[in-house]
Amino acid sequence: MAARTVAKDIITLRGSAAIVSEFFGYAANSILYNRGVYPEESFVKVKKYGLPMLLTEDEGVKSFIANLTAQLSEWLEAGKLQRVVLVIMSKATGEVLERWNFSIETDSEVVDKGVSREKSDKEIMREIQAIMRQIASSITYLPCLDEPCVFDVLAYTDKDVAVPFTWTESDPKLIANPQMVKLHSFDTKIHKVDTLVSYKNDEWDEP
Amino acid sequence: MSDSCVGLKMAEGEVEKMDPETEFLASKRRSGNEWEMFKENVRPLKRGRNVNLLNHALNSHTHNTLRKPLLQHRSKLIQAIHHYQGHDPLLPWLQCIKWVQEAFPPGGDSSGLVVIYEQCVRAFWHSERYKDDLRYLKVWLEYADNCFDADVIYAFLDANGIGKTHSDFYISYALHLESKNKFKAANQIFDLGISRNAEPVEKLKAAYRQFLARSMARPKAVDDSVEKLAPTRSFGTVLAKGENRDRAPLSTLNCDPSVKNDRTRAAPFSIYKDSVATGDAGTHQPDLSHSWLTLGARADRNKENNAIPGKWKSYKIPQRPGTRTGGATASAVIPVFVDEECQDLQSLKAEGVKSSSLKIRQEDDKDLKRETELLRKNPLRNFPQNSLPR
Repeated sequence: MAARTVAKDIITLRGSAAIVSEFFGYAANSILYNRGVYPEESFVKVKKYGLPMLLTEDEGVKSFIANLTAQLSEWLEAGKLQRVVLVIMSKATGEVLERWNFSIETDSEVVDKGVSREKSDKEIMREIQAIMRQIASSITYLPCLDEPCVFDVLAYTDKDVAVPFTWTESDPKLIANPQMVKLHSFDTKIHKVDTLVSYKNDEWDEP
Repeated sequence: MSDSCVGLKMAEGEVEKMDPETEFLASKRRSGNEWEMFKENVRPLKRGRNVNLLNHALNSHTHNTLRKPLLQHRSKLIQAIHHYQGHDPLLPWLQCIKWVQEAFPPGGDSSGLVVIYEQCVRAFWHSERYKDDLRYLKVWLEYADNCFDADVIYAFLDANGIGKTHSDFYISYALHLESKNKFKAANQIFDLGISRNAEPVEKLKAAYRQFLARSMARPKAVDDSVEKLAPTRSFGTVLAKGENRDRAPLSTLNCDPSVKNDRTRAAPFSIYKDSVATGDAGTHQPDLSHSWLTLGARADRNKENNAIPGKWKSYKIPQRPGTRTGGATASAVIPVFVDEECQDLQSLKAEGVKSSSLKIRQEDDKDLKRETELLRKNPLRNFPQNSLPR
């Protein structure tokens, strides 16, 4: 019995990559919903991480996120992904308004030697749940996006990774002098993901 | 809306210096989590909030001892308005407003925000200098957001030409009308703004396109447009109508005093009509024909929710037609329980020297709440009669 419980809590590189890339998919959906980048009606509710989560039904966005998570998963398994940033920009001006930064630290020993680690699914889910909750409540401090917006995803990888067909090189799309809020982190014991959101603190009284 | 779904990849190139985000993550600095714990108590701000200030403010409001410095700081800022000697008298107001917005996250009555907005807009409404100042307009718009019925505010701005060069004015005005299902009137406001080339015109046009898309998508609706710019009435009106013919409605049903008043008092209001024509050419005319005094705010209409509960069986409601003994006035009688700490605070303030010329007195919470409530119902109540559109 004891042996079986232990066996359940073993996490492999592959499993960890799956959890992390799936997390990105849900997080991206949740951000697009909560920040109103796409209309509310284009989302459906599902249950995930013990929370009601929203997934887009827009075919374009859906396939974009599916491709994204597939690609991220590949990089995660190779241990080559350092950071993923979801950038929200003004559609009219292209100005960067908000950046959701997910920084990843990979346990290189696991990648190099193929060993596994121990951590229960339940615990990881709980950590992810806390992040999702924070994304949903970020409205308390984020500025209101009162113009049509578009989003992009930046991936920071090791230099030796070839740029895939559908991706292009990009500038970092930083915000000058941003407000930053660190959200919770989660750790699969193989990939540790730190979350941070930065935003433009609009000076309301500038002439 | 967004159709840009191109994946981008950024190779970790020759980045020598860390970007602020990486630095922030590496610094192990933590953002407090009060914002999440008290998220229900935070009113979102259009310009966003500084999280550190927010956390500090939320923390302070949970402890009475920590709250005092906040109140003291507020009165300091208010005094700064009074003592300001510089060349931009609006500036200290804005500093005060911004600070109060951040330091009182729920933005409720006790923050005094509504009172401050009102005094700020009243201080400068006649000033040519600030008429086209976007900052000043934004104070007005914030004020409008906080009132039950902003019709009167937008009509006032329109009539006085405040903010007419900014697209923000037209967008807010039109959205306000749209929210009250006055699509035709909203459309007119958009047209007006575009014909006046309000800046930034692109933003205005984009908002207009969205508005058009929304009104197309809207199921066939009864468009009650301009002729009904008078505050929309509901519920009580329907009931009262039939009764109106033979006798005045019961006070509890008489949620719509201004309907009657519009007719009986038509004469005094006709003063406001004439000057408008001299304003802008074209089809648009600010709607001024309706009462400026009896706004009939939401609280006026929803009397049934304010009535004091009592035994129904044993209590006979006096049937006094025509008199307006509203539930609202009755409810004011309920003594408000004051915490000991707050009583201290009040006596403290009483001791402090009150400069009579200071515009915002250091009112205690109760006064502040009452004034806020009155302003919400009648946003221009403190404006001199003759300042209302001539």
